[in-house]
Formats: sequence, structure tokens, C-alpha cells
Amino acid sequence: MNLSQFNRILQQALLLPVIALLLTAGALYWQIRGANETVGIIQTTDVRIAQAGLVAKLIVDEESGLRGYETTGDERFLQPFNDAGNRLPAEFEKLASLTDSDPQQRYNVEDLRNEHQTWRDAFALPIISLVRAGGHTSDVNLNLYGKSLMDQVRQDIEAITQHAEGRRTVRIGQWRRQVRNLLEALIAIALGMGVLIGLFMRSRLHAVSSAYRSSIEILGRRAEEIFQSEQRLRTTLDSIGDGVITCDASGRIQMMNPVAAELTGWAQTEAVGLPLENVFKIINEHTREPIETPVAKVMRLKTVVGLASHTALIRKDMTQILIADSGAPVRDQTGETAGIVLVFRDITMERRTQEALLANEKLAVAGRLAATIAHEIHNPLDSVSNLLYLMKGGTTEDEFKQFIDMAERELARVTQISRAMLGLYRESKAPVPVDLHEILHEILLLMEHRFQELGVTVTSDIPQPIGVDAFPAELRQVFTNLITNAAEAAGSGGEVRISASSLPAGINSAGNKMPSGALIIIADNGSGISEKVRPHLFQPFFTTKGERGTGLGLWVSRGIVHKHGGTIDLASDTGESAHGTIVSVFLAEKPTINTNVG
Amino acid sequence: MTQTSHLILCVDDELIGLRVRKVLLERAGYRVLTAMDGASGLRLFESEPVEAVVLDYSMPGMHGGEVAGRMRQIKPSIPILLLSAYLGLPADVTSLVNLYMTKGEGAPVLLRKLETLLQPLNTP
Repeated sequence: MNLSQFNRILQQALLLPVIALLLTAGALYWQIRGANETVGIIQTTDVRIAQAGLVAKLIVDEESGLRGYETTGDERFLQPFNDAGNRLPAEFEKLASLTDSDPQQRYNVEDLRNEHQTWRDAFALPIISLVRAGGHTSDVNLNLYGKSLMDQVRQDIEAITQHAEGRRTVRIGQWRRQVRNLLEALIAIALGMGVLIGLFMRSRLHAVSSAYRSSIEILGRRAEEIFQSEQRLRTTLDSIGDGVITCDASGRIQMMNPVAAELTGWAQTEAVGLPLENVFKIINEHTREPIETPVAKVMRLKTVVGLASHTALIRKDMTQILIADSGAPVRDQTGETAGIVLVFRDITMERRTQEALLANEKLAVAGRLAATIAHEIHNPLDSVSNLLYLMKGGTTEDEFKQFIDMAERELARVTQISRAMLGLYRESKAPVPVDLHEILHEILLLMEHRFQELGVTVTSDIPQPIGVDAFPAELRQVFTNLITNAAEAAGSGGEVRISASSLPAGINSAGNKMPSGALIIIADNGSGISEKVRPHLFQPFFTTKGERGTGLGLWVSRGIVHKHGGTIDLASDTGESAHGTIVSVFLAEKPTINTNVG
Repeated sequence: MTQTSHLILCVDDELIGLRVRKVLLERAGYRVLTAMDGASGLRLFESEPVEAVVLDYSMPGMHGGEVAGRMRQIKPSIPILLLSAYLGLPADVTSLVNLYMTKGEGAPVLLRKLETLLQPLNTP
């Protein structure tokens, strides 16, 4: 049952009794109206009886007045006779009008009026004339005549009154019947309506209650599903390796998983309800400045907040771990932020491992270079020591000159190589102006023998000094790595081309704004890198060189280039005719050194 | 000296080093042939009655190990002394040659080792 059906039932439950009561009221009104009409008729009858009474009294007055005058002959006794005689015509008229509707009664009234007129004209008025004339009125026959006339009149009045009273009795009977009918109808309607409303309500309530029951069932099932789903999520949260804290919109902790409890050092029970910043205190690893919590940031930006680097978490016992964290808003149905989910993990070990890997790669590069350098130095040293041995054994003047000359040339070579070497591991804290022309030529010099060994022809096109601000030792590491890769890829008979040029500020092919800087391109005509391998090139520990490679070279190189605010791109072709690989490195002239990378 | 001096083949891509080594060995009484790379060295080795070889390891094109391997196929009995500027050489290379030494150990060591290699020839 949906809400509109339920509303319809509510409407019906209200309307039906109202309609039933209105019908009942209508029936009652109709009945009462009938009874009222009857009462009206009874009242009219009463008025008629009263009027008949009044007429009778006036006639009696006339008769009494006449009798007084007859006895005394005094005119004063005629007063009531005259008064009644004056009023009677009007009262007769009134009585006649009251009985208009009943022909029997009209006849009676007309008869009464005639009888009275007869009494008056044939008896009363002659008697009065007789008295005035001084005659005697004690004649029995005359008086008997008058009496008989008056008896007629009385008889008529009696008939009228009786008739009216008869009618009245009939009407009262009718009224009583009506009242009884009314009562019966009332009881019948009340019973009928009661049963009707009752049955109707019963059926409606049945519908509502079954709908309610099924709603309860559905709710029960939903509750079970929600419970299970919550259990599933809770178990998931408890099992995952990252710390998870959820907060309400005001930043108070609602829940934290065991990993979060372990990382922060706060028990779940004591942390719940506290403001996040009390439990999750984070600072910048280097500056020790407090960092805005991801929750505050999410509230401010209303979006997912990514990993902040160099974040240290101060645990409850004031020890410190390095973490990576992120926050995401929980939105309600209107899209408002209803809470925040915070996810973080301990990256202390990760960071140490990364540092160890970087140091390892540095050592590996240094080791490989040391071998190259040893070779470069041992050759001239061997010659010089042999020359000294020869000179010790005695020489001619010509030979001496020749030997000295050769020894000098070999020593000059050693000096040149050691100079190139010096620049290699000079650490600096801040970037310094560097000439890429010089760096690349030094690297090529150191690697010259290696190229010969590999049978690779190297050509370079680095026309003028190219200045950028950088960490020179790190750039040497990058280019040594890239050039070695190119030479090894080119192989015997192969070719490596190195070019560098200054670039003015502009827009690159991807549409990004680029600052002014330098572009170094290292291209080889080796067999190229297959598409399968290409995506893994910049991943740590990925190597195609087997035992000889650490798998860290390109990963570290990219880290260094990014640290210099630059980019490194690789394009490769494995086709039959135009195979080879091109690595382009862009370095900004005045980079913002990005220490967050690597 | 009635005994004919031993013929030594020196192979090295370092010009000065090779020239100095040639003078050194000649002073010690050897006859010396020189080659600047593996290929020409192998040609001389095949055509001349070379009695011992002083071979540089790191050379363009073909390194000392490869050259020694070919020489063993051509004349397996000729002793080979491998010189290297590197400290560690792969085991499969060192097992091919009679002796090996690092450059810079000095002329006396070289001469002594070469003498040791030629010992069986001197005392028939």
C-alpha cells in the first residue's frame, strides 16, 4: 500500500460517517417537519375551539343582558347585549375564516350564524321593543320560543366545538404516530448507519493493517540487510591495512578501525566523539608546522583531498610516524557534506626503503663509474710505470726525450679524467648554475672507451654553452644513465646521437605552458623497446639487462628530472626500417626545485 | 746469444701503452709483434710463429676474452697472458688464458710472468 492509497482510506473514513450522518439528519428533518405540521394543525383546531368558546360567551352575554333588561326594564342592563351584538358579526366572520377548509364545519358555522340571527331578530329585538313599549314579557310561550331558539344556537356551538375537538383528537393521534415513527426511523437509521460504518471501517482497517504488517516485514528484512551490510563493511574496514577514521560534519570522530587506533595510539573507545584534531595531530616533517587536517580541507574544498607528502603524525605517546593521508566527503541525498572519511597509512618503512633504494642506485652508478675510471687511469699509469722502468735501465738521449714526452701525454690524460671525475660527486644543497655543454662533454669523455668497447659511434650536437640551474652531480647521474642505456641499446655498429638546445618559453605539444629551458635529446638506432615493455620502463626494479642492471636507473633518473621541475619522455620504434629509441629531457632554466619528489 | 729470442705478440688498443710495452719487451730480449685490435692480432697469430701472447682485455669490437678463445681454437698450446685495467674479470675469460694480471702492477711483474709462461720452452 502506498501513501496515496492510505490517504484515500483516511479520506473515506472521514467522509463516510459525515455523509451517513447528513442522510440521517435529512430523514429526521423530514419526519420532524411532518410532526410539526401536525402540531400546527392541532394548534389551529385549538384556536377554532377557543373562537367557538368566545362566540358562545358573547351569545351568553347577549342572553344574560336581554334577561336583565326583561326583568328590570332598565336600559343599563342592555349594555352587555349591545356590546356582544356589536362584536359578534366580526367574531362570526373570524370563526368562519378559521373553518374555511372544512365544509362540515363551515356549514355548522353558517347554521350557527343563521340560528343566532333568527334568535336575535325573532326573539331578542321584539322583546326589547316590547319592554320599551311597556308590555309584559312574562308570557311563557314567548319565552319558550326564545329558549328553543337559543337551544338551537347552543346546539350549533356544541356541534362546532365537538367537531373541532374530534378533529383535534384525530390529529393528536396522528402526531403520536408520527413521533413513534420518528423514533423507530431514528433507531433503524442509527443501527443501519452504525453497521454500515462499522463494516466499512473494518474492511479499510483490514487493508491498512495488512499493509502495515507487510511494511513491518519489509522493514525487518531491510534492517537485517543493513545490519549485514554494516557488518560486512565493518569487517572490511577492520581487515584493511590502512587506517580509516570517519567523522561527522562537525569533525567529530564517529568511528576508527584498529589500524587507525594502532597508528594514532588512541583506543577506539576513547577517540569516538572527540574532535579529529585532538587525535589526528599532523605536522610537516621538515618544518614541524601543523598541517590543516584533511577533514578541514575537505570541508573547505568540498572534494576529495589527495595525499599530502612529508606529513608526520604525532601519536598519543608523542612518538612520530610518517604517513600519507587522503580525505573524502560523505554526501547526503541533497549533496551536502554529511561527514568525512579519512584514510591514512604508515609510510615510514616505505620512505626508508625508498631512501635505501636511492642510495643503492647511487652506489651502483658510482661502482660502475669507478670501474670505468679505474680502466681509464690504469692504462696511462701502466704506460708511465713501464716508461719509468725503461728509463731506470738507462736510455739514449733520443729515447729519453721520447719517453718523457709519452709519459707527459699519459699523465695529461689522467689529469683530464680525474677532473671530469671531480665534478661527479660534489654534493650541493641548492641548485647552482650548470653548463649542460660541459657536463655532457665530460660524460662523453669518461665513456669514450666504453663506446669503443661496445663498437658504438657517438655523435653530439651541443653547439653553445647551455645554462640551467641544477644539482650537477644528479644531472650527471641522469645523463650517464641515459647515454649508457642508448649505447648498450645501439650495440656494435650502432649509433647514438646526443643533441641539446636552449628553448624559449612557450606551449608544448600537450598544450601546457612551458618555461624557458633546455631540451636534451638522446637517440639511438637500436632495435627499439616493445610496447609490452614500455609501460614498465620507469618502474623500480624493472630491468632488461638481467644481472647487469639494478632496475633503478630510469626510475631514479625520472625522480631527479621531476625534482628539477623537468620532464622526461621516451619514444620508441621497433619497426624494420626506422627502429630506435629517443629520450627527451626538458630542464627549466630557473626551476622551482620540487623536493617532494624522490 | 745463439738461442733465438722468443717471438711475442702484443695486442692492445692503447697506442702509447702498446709502444711502451714493445720497447720494454724488446729490451728484455724478445722479438715483438704488435696489433691494435683483435682481428689484426688474430691474423698475425695465425700467420707468424708466435710463441706467447700478451693480450689486453678491453678493446673495441672484440674483447680480450673472445680473442683468446679464437686463439685457443687456432693454436691451443700457445700461452696467453691477459692484461686488464679492470680488477675483476669474468671467470669464463680467466679460465681460457694461462695467466692474467692487472695493468699498473709494474714492468718487473709482467716480465717475470712472461718468463714463467715461456719456461717449458726454455728447458726442453
